[in-house]
Amino acid sequence: MPEKSNPHLRLNNSELWGGLIGLALGIFVIRSGIKLKLGTINDPGSGYVLFYTGILMCLFALTIIASAVTEGGPSFGSRWEGARWTRPLILIACLTAFSFALEPLGFLLSAIPLMLLLLRAIDPVRWTLALPLAVLAPLGVWWVLKHALLIQLPSGIFEIG
Amino acid sequence: MDTLVNVMHGFGVALLPVNILYCFIGVFIGTLVGVLPGIGPISAMSLLLPVTLSGTPESGIIMMAGIYYGSMYGGSTTSILVNIPGEAASVVTCIDGHQMAKQGRAGPALGISALGSFIAGTFSLLALMLVAPSLASVAIAFGPAEYFSLMVLGLVVLTFLTQGSMAKALLMACIGIVLGLIGLDSITAQPRLTFGRMELIDGIGLVPVVMGLFGVAEVLLNTEQVIKRDIINAKITQLLPNKADWKVSARPIGRGTLLGFFLGILPGGGAVVASFASYALEKRLSKTPERFGHGAIEGVAGPESANNAAAGGAFIPLMTLGIPPNVVMALLLGAFVIHGLQPGPLLITQNPGLFWGIVASMYIGNLMLLVLNLPLIGMWVQLLKLPYNILFPLIILFTIIGVYCSSNNVFDVYVMIAFGVIGYFMRKLGYEPAPLVLAFVLGPMLENNLRKSLILSQGDLWTFVERPISATCLAFALVLLIGPLLPSLRKKRELVALDEGA
Repeated sequence: MPEKSNPHLRLNNSELWGGLIGLALGIFVIRSGIKLKLGTINDPGSGYVLFYTGILMCLFALTIIASAVTEGGPSFGSRWEGARWTRPLILIACLTAFSFALEPLGFLLSAIPLMLLLLRAIDPVRWTLALPLAVLAPLGVWWVLKHALLIQLPSGIFEIG
Repeated sequence: MDTLVNVMHGFGVALLPVNILYCFIGVFIGTLVGVLPGIGPISAMSLLLPVTLSGTPESGIIMMAGIYYGSMYGGSTTSILVNIPGEAASVVTCIDGHQMAKQGRAGPALGISALGSFIAGTFSLLALMLVAPSLASVAIAFGPAEYFSLMVLGLVVLTFLTQGSMAKALLMACIGIVLGLIGLDSITAQPRLTFGRMELIDGIGLVPVVMGLFGVAEVLLNTEQVIKRDIINAKITQLLPNKADWKVSARPIGRGTLLGFFLGILPGGGAVVASFASYALEKRLSKTPERFGHGAIEGVAGPESANNAAAGGAFIPLMTLGIPPNVVMALLLGAFVIHGLQPGPLLITQNPGLFWGIVASMYIGNLMLLVLNLPLIGMWVQLLKLPYNILFPLIILFTIIGVYCSSNNVFDVYVMIAFGVIGYFMRKLGYEPAPLVLAFVLGPMLENNLRKSLILSQGDLWTFVERPISATCLAFALVLLIGPLLPSLRKKRELVALDEGA
């Protein structure tokens, strides 16, 4: 764990931001609970549990914020210290691109480039292994699902697969 | 006599060829995911949840259970040979197991781990057979107030045992409850937090949430680190421990088994707590505690027995009360629900074939694991050499396929990717996903039982305190909630805190 540093309030204190996000979520849940109607204690409505869970969320978030303000906390930078942070970033970008491509292009046309990117862009595997693996793994999975388990994966606008 | 008849009936179900096959697939995959670092039983079980749809409920649940206890066996192999725990319950095995391997005693370490696991697994099954039916007959008298309080206790225990700040763990549990409530209200049929999206009317699926938080997030975390593997390359000989090894290990195995079984039953507890508790106990009872950390065989025998006994014990609250005590059991509950079955006090009487079949299959599975983990150890060692840069794209591919197949819906793939990214940032900021997942599963049940008890008692909150079981559970939960405010209890909590709730 990164060491706690300056106890004074700093804007890049990750604990503080975590607590603030929790607080915002709590307020949103309370608002949703009220909108859904709380009902009475004899006959709780759809928003009853949401409302009280939201209150608890705000309480816990405020505890985190209070601790971040009084005791300080690690900065965002220190959370990623020594980590090869570009790799998860590339992976997230690949997965986001894949999620956009999956429906229009279909499983095979989106999964093969995804596999190739993952095999080459993060911790590069040699081309002679990456290429066949990127093609054969999605193709094999698609074949088993389609022919053995009768599960149709998205085929996209080109109807491939 | 009844138990004996039921056990025979159970073996009749478990020994059907198709169930033997599913059991073998389960324990094989369990060992595999236990051996491979970076993929645990939770990811594997959620990946295979859709597969259970194709067979009978017995076959599917037998396979899922096999993955769980199989991973407990497999996890020790990586801990001993590579010094990387295959899954959270084997973390403690690294300490003495790897030291033994370095001293050329990898064989006895692996042997005592497998044999201790087998003994503990057998004991926990016998206890499960005896305890579960009696507890189920008591649980029939449970009302919504008792169920509500038990679930609150389960969630509080898990947040207590989660690593880091308890406020963060409790916040995660609350978020899990809210996520679990998305969709139609089971009482008024009013849509909640659906944002006008049809895909959310039925709520968010368990599989994409778990696969995202545990599968994708784990891969994201692993890619930013350089995974160093210190594999013991020497040929492993003499797997059976010698007389002296047995002499020092017999008592730790016995103590680990009992401790693990009881900790496994507790809601929120499980294999991880059991293994740590057993290690601490053995070190405290040892006449030569200085040997621990330098290759003491008791440090392998005790925790490995404890985590397997806990895996068996964890089935008790699920089978008798319908309450999953940890995330793995929550997934198993998902498998039951997929087949239209509700685990609980009536399961044993209404579906004796299913209950006793699962119990008997676990015994058969334990025998299979002994064969898989001792004579075939070389095969698993070879597998450890598979580089992570080839493994993780395959894990990503299989998580995508697994999620899509669970619902035939592309939306679930988006949900999984979103939860993967959220899970990664959560872990980086010190928020553990286990309380969220357990609360996500328990949330709808918790709400239902709370509302039912309030309606039945006409809004009288004393109903939770007047009933002894409910009052006891709430009292325990309160102690654990205010406990960390006391410095001595806070220290104890930090000692037993877990990485994962499973």
